[in-house]
Amino acid sequence: MASTACFVIVSKNDIPIYEAEVGSAPKKEDLAHQHQFILHAALDVVQDLAWTTNAMFLRSVDRFSDLVVSVYDSVVHTRFMLLHDSRSDDGIKSFFQEVHELYIKIFLNPLYLPGSRITSSHFDTKVRALARKYL
Amino acid sequence: MEDYPEELRTPPVSLVSIVGCPELHPSISAALSSQQPPMNTLALPDFSKASILARSGKARDPLAPPQAPAGILKKDWLLKHRTRVPAAVAALFRADQVSGDPAQWLQACSDLENLKSAIQGKNTKLVVVLVQAQASDELSEDVTVALRKRAEIDSRHMIVLVEQDETEWSRSLSKLKNVFAELCSAFYKEEGRRIKARIEKRNFSSVELSIRYCFKVAVYAEFRRDWPEALKFYEEGVRVLREMIGTSTRLPPTQRLVEIKAVAEQFHFKISTLLLHAGKVVEAILWFRKHIRSYERVVGTPEVAFLHWEWFSRQFLVFGELIETSAATVPDTLSPRFGTADNALTEWEFQPAYYYQLAATYLREKRYAIECSSSVANLTTEASGIPESVMPSVYVGQYVRLFEQGDTVSVLPLSDTEYTSYALSEAERFQDSYEIIALFRKAYESFQSLGATRMASACSRGMAIEYYAAGDFSNAKQLFDGVAGLYRQEGWTTLLWENLGYLRECSRKLNFLKDFISYSLEMAALPLFSGSGEENRENKIKSGPGGSPTISRRENIQQEVINVLKRKQAPDGTNDEFDNAMEETTHLDIDQISPLRMVLTASVAFHDQSVKPGSPLLISVSLLSHLPSPVVVDQLEVQFNQSDCNFVIHSAQEDSPPLDSNLHDQVVEATSLTLFTNKWMRLTREIKSGQSGKLECLSVKATINKHLVICCHAESPASMEDFPLWKFEDHVETLPTKDNVLAFSGQKLIQVEEPDAQVDLVLNSAGSALVGEIFIVPVTILSKGHAVHSGELKINLVDAKGGGLLMSPREAEESESHDVELLGVSTVDGKELKEEVDSIRKIQYSFGVVSVPTLSEGDSWSCKLEIKWHRAKSVMLYVSLGYSLGSTEEEALHRLNVHRSLQIEGQIPLLVTHQLLRPFRREPLLLSEIRSLGGDDKKCSLAMNESNMFIVNARNCTEVPLRLHSMTIEPDDDGKQLCSVQQVSGISNGHAVIAPSEEYKGIFSVNPRASSSNFHLGDICLNWSRDSSLGEDQETHVIMKQRLPEEIKYSLVDSQNFVFSGAHNHAAFILPKSEHTVSHKLVPLGSGSQQLPRITVTSVRYSAALTPSTSAATVFIYPSEPKFNLETSCSTSDECVS
Repeated sequence: MASTACFVIVSKNDIPIYEAEVGSAPKKEDLAHQHQFILHAALDVVQDLAWTTNAMFLRSVDRFSDLVVSVYDSVVHTRFMLLHDSRSDDGIKSFFQEVHELYIKIFLNPLYLPGSRITSSHFDTKVRALARKYL
Repeated sequence: MEDYPEELRTPPVSLVSIVGCPELHPSISAALSSQQPPMNTLALPDFSKASILARSGKARDPLAPPQAPAGILKKDWLLKHRTRVPAAVAALFRADQVSGDPAQWLQACSDLENLKSAIQGKNTKLVVVLVQAQASDELSEDVTVALRKRAEIDSRHMIVLVEQDETEWSRSLSKLKNVFAELCSAFYKEEGRRIKARIEKRNFSSVELSIRYCFKVAVYAEFRRDWPEALKFYEEGVRVLREMIGTSTRLPPTQRLVEIKAVAEQFHFKISTLLLHAGKVVEAILWFRKHIRSYERVVGTPEVAFLHWEWFSRQFLVFGELIETSAATVPDTLSPRFGTADNALTEWEFQPAYYYQLAATYLREKRYAIECSSSVANLTTEASGIPESVMPSVYVGQYVRLFEQGDTVSVLPLSDTEYTSYALSEAERFQDSYEIIALFRKAYESFQSLGATRMASACSRGMAIEYYAAGDFSNAKQLFDGVAGLYRQEGWTTLLWENLGYLRECSRKLNFLKDFISYSLEMAALPLFSGSGEENRENKIKSGPGGSPTISRRENIQQEVINVLKRKQAPDGTNDEFDNAMEETTHLDIDQISPLRMVLTASVAFHDQSVKPGSPLLISVSLLSHLPSPVVVDQLEVQFNQSDCNFVIHSAQEDSPPLDSNLHDQVVEATSLTLFTNKWMRLTREIKSGQSGKLECLSVKATINKHLVICCHAESPASMEDFPLWKFEDHVETLPTKDNVLAFSGQKLIQVEEPDAQVDLVLNSAGSALVGEIFIVPVTILSKGHAVHSGELKINLVDAKGGGLLMSPREAEESESHDVELLGVSTVDGKELKEEVDSIRKIQYSFGVVSVPTLSEGDSWSCKLEIKWHRAKSVMLYVSLGYSLGSTEEEALHRLNVHRSLQIEGQIPLLVTHQLLRPFRREPLLLSEIRSLGGDDKKCSLAMNESNMFIVNARNCTEVPLRLHSMTIEPDDDGKQLCSVQQVSGISNGHAVIAPSEEYKGIFSVNPRASSSNFHLGDICLNWSRDSSLGEDQETHVIMKQRLPEEIKYSLVDSQNFVFSGAHNHAAFILPKSEHTVSHKLVPLGSGSQQLPRITVTSVRYSAALTPSTSAATVFIYPSEPKFNLETSCSTSDECVS
């Protein structure tokens, strides 16, 4: 498992609708901000890149020292962004795919308003479990 | 990059030396440096200076055991090879120096010997140049051979320069250049090979030497432009260097690390430059990444962490500058596939701004590290002080202390503690903040131009934090504000939180109370992810002054605002901050795009869509706050665009409600005005609608803690936007009003209608108008409940068939005449408004404005419109009355209008025809002339000096009886001379009444007195008026004049509308000049305009029948009163024409 990882789901309006620190490293609060700053700044690249490729999985679109941002472009431009320091591409890809399935389930919920924040604890638990499994 | 020495920054250039003949040096140096590749020239004017070429260092005893080197690289080694160790030396002799005088020859020989001894022990090559004036001055073979032997050189290295001849000169010079180039190459290759042999044989005692040799080999390779080999050895050197970190023990650990990093920096710089110059951008970036990765964790002890970060930041800065200056662009083949398997680079890594931004970030790390170190250092090493006279040593990255004892100056190594305190004192002298800001600004501008706003704002934030740290709060606030805008828009609340935390502190420092309150409130109202961690004190610096985003922190912030407000209330003002914020209350304005909408939102809905003025109406005011703690509102003021409707709600809990509100405000007390988080507070009030027009709720002012007034722009529930930040999956959407319909369609504005006009406008019409008469339309204004002030009557005549204008198009072009004309308006008592001419503001042909006098309630006023028809036309008459209820200015603005319209037909009253009766001919019938047919105007011939009968028929075409006053023929001048006209039968007793569709015949006798072929008799003038005694007598007696008794028969035909008594058919004799009355009793069966039974009168003698016209036999039956004995009798009259 990666020592540092920050996972964010960004809606099509660039608003984060889910955030989780999924690293196994001892929790450092000061870095939470830092991670979000990196992820937010990476949106610039993602926006450009998303139109040039058909692939959903865009790996290492941005890097900040040894931290790498990987992105999964999901339905209706909802983006899964993962800040990580390991390079196991396959694990990240699998993680994204499984989270994508979870997200689709949330999305299909008729009571879920697209673009609103995901606060389901079930979703949170599942995502963290996936992170432990793949990252 | 500018800090690096010149020799490191530029590629090495071969050095050659020329000695003697100083007058030729400039041209030779110029020629050599313009060479490709260029050569630098070390020009020595005469041979006595040749000693500087000699090895300066001490001669080492070859038998002594090799000493361990004191450092890795000597600082001046590169410079030495670029300026002081030439690859080849050329000795210049003039031809006459060596050929003639033996003394000169001896001198030349000794000079050559000196030179040879100077370069002895090195591989420096020797060249002998003979300078001749002319090509023809052939030197003897002996001299050259002797010289060559003296110099011990190859014949190729003996060159003759011809000074005078231009072509010979350049030819010999190029020969010299070639020889030099060849010798340089050989020299550097040989030197390189010599050192390389040592590496290959591992013939060195320490790692330091190994690195040094690598560097040297690489530099020699660079001298001869063998880039791949240079690269190879630089990389090898770096590899060995990196391994050395753990193994070397020569220096104390801190200084060792500093030295290694300094050397690594030089190696890395060389490699990057070589790669970028070769256009290998991707390789360079990958190399840089490797370099960074291998050194990023080599921080050293915490006390000297700042040294590491400074060094680390410099790596990024220098690499960024290198990328920027090398102008290497991103290879096209790569760009679209960033982040894919075959391209591990990201787009930004090709941008210098990326490196600047990182350099700034790491420089900030350095600042933090210095802060930590100096605080520790101040506590511990106060006493020891900073060592004096520390200076860089001859080795790269090493520092020593100069120690003076008497006259002898010795160099002492430093201990790590000493070095640390020295470095710290050096580092503290620099203002890193400005550099960080400059770097961030550079990156910001670059990203901005690339369109990467988020990266740019990240840089902007970096700048702001630096300004904040440096105490420049106004700059910081400005930058933070800009960044916060982006985060607000994109809803990155955690980032926004941090930003607002800074902004809050900036406002506090700048003493901006209003900003402080608004930022605090916004922070308190921010939605946060529930998963966010707890307060963490040790990371306060990094997570900003706002603290960690938690619910408890939000509550704290809200409480802080309340505290600030409360302290302001205190009379003596014990607070240390915001002490000079003198204003009584703080006003916050929240509109629909304000970020403070989360703090307080007001939704206002009227329950109806329109209302009559003055009538009560219901209004719902709903307030919503996302603040974490309940908000107690002291007073709520709702403001409308009509200030009469404003009202204030006071919280009843308040002890002393201030009674300073305006008089016209309605003051209402409510039990409690407390806003709970995320719950609508709904208030419904009844207010009285004001004047007619739009009534709109403008704002809701909430006063909190007496000194904070939040003015919310009112929003309609129908058009209210939701809160993008407060959209949570599990949050139930709440509605501002309980009534769902109102929540989705309610509006904050209502239309107050015009009051109903309580004035009647009556237009009377007397049927159709007749062409030529002045038609009178009476207009009556009857006030039924409103007083009429400054009333105005507008009259408009419009063609009923459309088109508007009352002119036929043809006429409009030709003349100004109108078909229908509004002549004037007269008051009801008949006299023209002479004295009020001014008040008749405008009477035009089809339009008129008349002012109406002030009428009190119940009064009436009337006038008559005089309209004249010139042509039979149907016209619409529009009359509208505008008035106001009072004479004051305010009331005059609200005008009420009453409109009426009437269609009036214009008719031609009389149809006039004529015929001429000529006397019988008394002459024999002779065909006098053949009358030509054709020509519409019927010309007829009249008998001269005879009486010709001229009969004029005037037929009433209208449906009203007309009174004919006169019928005359007005002959014109021509007619007066030529004929006399006499009226034979005329209008008997002043006038003749012509019933509808009846004819009147006037008979004239015309007596022409001269013969004329074209003769105009004159105009027929009819003078008529309406018969005012219309329908008064129903029995008409017509007297007949007849000479003979006449037998007539008459018959009556049944009509369904009447029953009558009497014979259907009868005969009677009528005596001349007598009248016979036939009487029938008729009982009408229906009311209205009814057809009488038709009577047909037949004269037996002439067998001529007469049937009266339909219109003459029509009678209007009034509805009867409920009496059954009423009879209507009618008699018909008949008239016989002889």
